[in-house]
Amino acid sequence: MSKESAEKEERIAPADRKVPLFSLGRAWIIARGTVTQLIRMKTLYFLLAFALIIVAFGNFSLGGTAAKELSTIKRACFGAMDSFAWMFAIISTALLIPRDQEDRTLYTILSKPVRRMEYLVGKLIGVLVVIGVFLALMFVVTSMILIARQSSFIGDELSAMDQNSRMSQEQRIAQIEFIQRQGFRFELGISAIASFLKAAVIASVTILLSTFASSSLFTIVISLLVFLIGHFHSLANSFYKYHSGDNIIVQMLLKLVKILIPDFQLYAFSEGIVMGGAVIYPLVWQMGLITVGYLVVFLMLSALIFVDKEF
Amino acid sequence: MSIPAVEVKNLTKVFRTGLYKDYVVAVDNLSFEVKAGEVYGLIGPNGSGKSTTMKVVLGLMAASQGEAKVFGLDSGDIRARHEIGFLPENPYFYKHLTGTETLKFYGKLCGIRGKELKDRIAELLEMVDLENAAKRRLGGYSKGMLQRIGLAQALIQRPRLVILDEPTAGVDPMGSRQIRDLILKLRDDGVTVFLCSHLLEQVQEVCDKVGIIFKGRMRREGPLEELISIEDQTAMTLEHASPELLKSISELVEKDGKARLVETGRPRTTLERLFISIATQKHKASKDE
Repeated sequence: MSKESAEKEERIAPADRKVPLFSLGRAWIIARGTVTQLIRMKTLYFLLAFALIIVAFGNFSLGGTAAKELSTIKRACFGAMDSFAWMFAIISTALLIPRDQEDRTLYTILSKPVRRMEYLVGKLIGVLVVIGVFLALMFVVTSMILIARQSSFIGDELSAMDQNSRMSQEQRIAQIEFIQRQGFRFELGISAIASFLKAAVIASVTILLSTFASSSLFTIVISLLVFLIGHFHSLANSFYKYHSGDNIIVQMLLKLVKILIPDFQLYAFSEGIVMGGAVIYPLVWQMGLITVGYLVVFLMLSALIFVDKEF
Repeated sequence: MSIPAVEVKNLTKVFRTGLYKDYVVAVDNLSFEVKAGEVYGLIGPNGSGKSTTMKVVLGLMAASQGEAKVFGLDSGDIRARHEIGFLPENPYFYKHLTGTETLKFYGKLCGIRGKELKDRIAELLEMVDLENAAKRRLGGYSKGMLQRIGLAQALIQRPRLVILDEPTAGVDPMGSRQIRDLILKLRDDGVTVFLCSHLLEQVQEVCDKVGIIFKGRMRREGPLEELISIEDQTAMTLEHASPELLKSISELVEKDGKARLVETGRPRTTLERLFISIATQKHKASKDE
């Protein structure tokens, strides 16, 4: 601070200072700090390991038709991306806040003009930025592998078709299009986005848990449980309905679980896209809105607990 | 009359423990005031309620009863944080950040940007003597260095009040001396310092006013000189005094009838001062070589 501005600062009485209810700028500073922290925690090795697995997987000959082989590679790669995203979301989020508290870094941050909500939002944004960038890079690696394998399969198929003179031009085009449908498509990006949205929701649940949990391990275990239960909403619903009929207590319990635990099965639409299905854009937008809704609810709950938390 | 930097009135903090609603009274009806510009030391043994009081003043904890104000604002009011710089006991900042990055992070949180921030960081690194370690990650810092970078982060927004929790705990005598010198410099610059410690000798060296807290209650409080001086005794230190002179003084005291010579002998330096003087000489000698 220059001398002049310092003097100007001195003239401002504490009571006259204006501190906004929420500063996105300060949340962004926390988010940038979180990104640096996660990157310097050598999380990039995750990405490297993923790239190596995908490259190795892409070079294996799995047998079967070209389309089947491409479909298997695609499912494995997107499955790995999805698993990476939710696992990273849970572990990194569960480690960050309790560690800040244990190391007393939180004391120094909260003794600056930082609102607790800004801190929580900043941490969440930081984790999501890292997941987003990693997923984008993973998508690029997967796409490159798919494109390489697809061109090699098409090349092989064309030379096989050249030897088979009985095939008409239409049949040849249909065969190539069939392989292409199982290969790389830009729509596959929607599947990566679905993984991101799912990771965002579980990260916000983990933030909520870490505001009152006493250890990172507890937070990780409970978050994993929530994630697991969140995949069996509809199954549990039909199972209990079948066995308990209209029992009011069971109905209330189911509603409570539905409110407290997000339904992660909603994001399963991405599997259809990976399998070659068409993208239903209104559904994608709807999922985006549902995710925002989940984030807002879990962040508000986290803030309610965290604002009054004593350190 | 100027607004006090810290004003604690009838502060009580009760912690509930366990499921059976047992409770512990950490701070019990505590009241004190820290005037702007003074160095106030809150001393007491471990578990006496010093850190709890400090956390209430910082707004990290709410009072069960009573109130704490910083420059007239409730300590929970976020506007008060602009005026406070805080150094916790044994600070562990983000180990992955360098000294400069740490100060940049905290500076930005306080709304300082650009050249202003760059200049302030350079000024503080020079002040805490960490210019050479500015680009090193905090993971490689010694305890004393961490404490000094902690002090620099506390001062980044030029706060009017600096709160220090055991600022020299675990730091070697040289590092400890540096921190005490910095506290004295802050006082000279008009910054109010509120420190908690159980290292009494160090508190004695820097504080203008002291409060002694025990089991959550203020036992004694007042200006340091008043608290530690023995009212009915006078000390006299002589240089190059001959045995004859000392004998004459003793005789004079005896003649007085009322006065009594309690103790004579050579004044002693402290082990800490001796260590610092040797270390400083060695440091100078190695620099000259």
